[in-house]
Amino acid sequence: MSTTNINEINRNIYDIKNKDEYEFKIKKGLTPEIIKEISKQKNDPEWMKEFRLKALEVYNKLEMPTWGPDLSELDMEEIATYVRPKTNLNNSWEDVPEDIKDTFDKLGIPEAERTSLAGVGAQYDSEVVYHSMKKELIQQGVIYTDMETAIKEYPKLVQDHFMKCVPVYDHKFVALHGAVWSGGSFVYVPKGVKVDIPLQSYFRLNSPEAGQFEHTLIIVEEGASLHFIEGCSAPKYNKINLHAGCVELYVKDKAYLRYSTIENWSKNMLNLNTKKAIVGKNAKMDWVSGSFGSKISMLYPMSILNGKGAKTEFTGISFAGEGQNLDNGFKVIHNAPETSSVVNAKSISKNGGKCTYRSLVRIAENAKNSKSSVSCESLMLDNSSISDTIPTNDIRTDEVEFSHEAKIGKISDKAIFYLMSRGLSEEDAIAMIVRGFAHPIAKELPVEYAVEMNNLINLEL
Amino acid sequence: MEELSLNETPVRTSKNFLINDIKLEEINFPNKLQAFKGIDISCNSTKINFSSKVSHANLTYGLGETFTKEVNNNANKNLKIEIDSKTRTETQVIFKFDSENLNLIDNIEIIANKDTKATIILKYVSKEEIKAFHNGIIRVYAKKRADIKVILINLLSQASNNFISIENVLEENSKVNFTTVDFGGKNSITNYYSNLSENNSDNRLNTIYLGKDNQLFDLNYIAELYGEKSKVNIEVQGALKDIAKKHFKGTIDFRKGCKKSKGNENEFCVLLSDKAKSLGLPMLLCSEEDVEGNHSSAAGKVGQKELFYIMSRGFDLKDALKLMVKAKFNNILKEIKKDELREEIINEIENRLD
Repeated sequence: MSTTNINEINRNIYDIKNKDEYEFKIKKGLTPEIIKEISKQKNDPEWMKEFRLKALEVYNKLEMPTWGPDLSELDMEEIATYVRPKTNLNNSWEDVPEDIKDTFDKLGIPEAERTSLAGVGAQYDSEVVYHSMKKELIQQGVIYTDMETAIKEYPKLVQDHFMKCVPVYDHKFVALHGAVWSGGSFVYVPKGVKVDIPLQSYFRLNSPEAGQFEHTLIIVEEGASLHFIEGCSAPKYNKINLHAGCVELYVKDKAYLRYSTIENWSKNMLNLNTKKAIVGKNAKMDWVSGSFGSKISMLYPMSILNGKGAKTEFTGISFAGEGQNLDNGFKVIHNAPETSSVVNAKSISKNGGKCTYRSLVRIAENAKNSKSSVSCESLMLDNSSISDTIPTNDIRTDEVEFSHEAKIGKISDKAIFYLMSRGLSEEDAIAMIVRGFAHPIAKELPVEYAVEMNNLINLEL
Repeated sequence: MEELSLNETPVRTSKNFLINDIKLEEINFPNKLQAFKGIDISCNSTKINFSSKVSHANLTYGLGETFTKEVNNNANKNLKIEIDSKTRTETQVIFKFDSENLNLIDNIEIIANKDTKATIILKYVSKEEIKAFHNGIIRVYAKKRADIKVILINLLSQASNNFISIENVLEENSKVNFTTVDFGGKNSITNYYSNLSENNSDNRLNTIYLGKDNQLFDLNYIAELYGEKSKVNIEVQGALKDIAKKHFKGTIDFRKGCKKSKGNENEFCVLLSDKAKSLGLPMLLCSEEDVEGNHSSAAGKVGQKELFYIMSRGFDLKDALKLMVKAKFNNILKEIKKDELREEIINEIENRLD
């Protein structure tokens, strides 16, 4: 049986490089002076400046992870943590500089906004350059804006929630984020408001040897609902870029939030992102995650089920090609009675790529009558790739139903034989099986991202 | 004595998950060991050789350097069991701990030569009132086409400390079937490693554990597959009551070249108390495409419908629970062919669930 051939993702669109033009770029490195300068450039309130400096202290105290991919090539002395593009925040694409607008055009953002989104935020390097939302949502009291505006216009709301869900001492790169964060989106959905059409933020890093540290803070009030989409990409450079964003999600009682991400960073990117949700009574948090890009990814979204009857579902796929080490997974803490979690994770590795599924399910002492079901499947498409499954389960009470299952292996020869006996060529048979493998994830994605994913799984016939 | 870190997993995960290794306090290695005299050896063949000439143990993993060093330097029982080629045998070694034989550091080497078919029973037993200490290494070398079954039984008292490092090396077409019954010890810590370096080797590990009071079981099972068409099957069934705690760390590591190999691990923990804790890390590591690897893990209380059914037949709750736990263990208990020994273990289950 010949080896399966799957195309690398067509990165032509994502690899568009604009000239590295900016209004301000902080010097490389990480010192209190640099942090103060970022704070000054961003016109932070005093509390935020202090917060940044404290986060830097925590960063300096915390050790690098003693597990997972090797991060030794990350040298913060070679990373510029703040790059302000040569434009302010705009409410019309016409006001966005031509080269930046052209990039987002090619990524399909304005078109998606016209056809299928209720609001869009677009970040270029360290600042949001475009933000807009439909009037109907504004009238309903929905807030969707960049974080900098939110700090100025809704200071109490931000201060009450900012880095409370993800405290700076969670790990080293959260502390780094706390010190140098810039950009990102703030969403507030008032009690009972259902946002039927998704909001989307897109994060684009153009500048070489730079980092992107956007902060996303979403509060979905009691009984409200929202679908939020996050996309990200960058052109490839020879030197390391860093992404250490932070996503904090508050899903209040009886609320619903779906957070969909397609991460398509370039293969010089270290993606050390942190995402966490606190889920209230009878609320539901759904994660849909596609991880295709990055040289190294360490990404483990987390749901803390704090309210009785809270639910969460994670559906994710990772695709690691040549030179990629994608260490992804999911964490859930059942911290209240009658909570439930469902995890469905898949990975494909080829051309020497490495996929690791790493996870935690913790069912606390008080989480009586909780249920958790975890399934992960890994497909290896050649003999030079690696696929690991490293799940931790921590069950601290008896009134639970917990199950975990995992499978690892190649495409079944029998399945290929069966399909070929029905008249398909070997290539078509393999293509069908791989698409079938990814289908449970693809069907959960927004249409344009499902198409993007199908492009990814475009077999050489 | 300072805190001792031991039984590390071959691959680390986040330290916040609290499972990479364990740290124990109050582990005092006994000084000036006397010869351990409470040993009974019985054997049904003359083609099995017993001696004390064991080799120096260089373990690939083991519980940790301190534990291996203790065995190499201070063992008070060295036992080499060598089974001649083409021999069929059953051997039983019982280590009886009592007030005069409180501490055992043993180094056991089992060599199953070509085409042997053997069962070795290793039983560690003590009276309830004593506080025994056991730190041992068991190495099994299964030569070509050898088929060896090892039954390891820990019935030490609950005040005891039990530390065991196991290492198996499997040659072509050999089989090692390990059954462990892990009931005793305040701390019972096991490191198990199998190296399936040659083609067509087959390693099975079946474990039952039963924890009560404040017992801690830390089971770190590792199998590395190198040879083609190798097979590994790890089956762990356990029950925890009171505030007992269990860590199960299982690693099946498919190394490049182990084509057509299969690995399965299945772990199930019955929780009989809302204070018992079950921590699991069933890992599959894979650098070879042409393999099949599966794992499943589950935890929870006994099925309420089944319990109701049994109680409707006249059993009280305690007896119904006992019946269900024994049923869970039954598939593994069937591996113990010696009726008398199996009955002893079943009685022990009854006693511990009372």
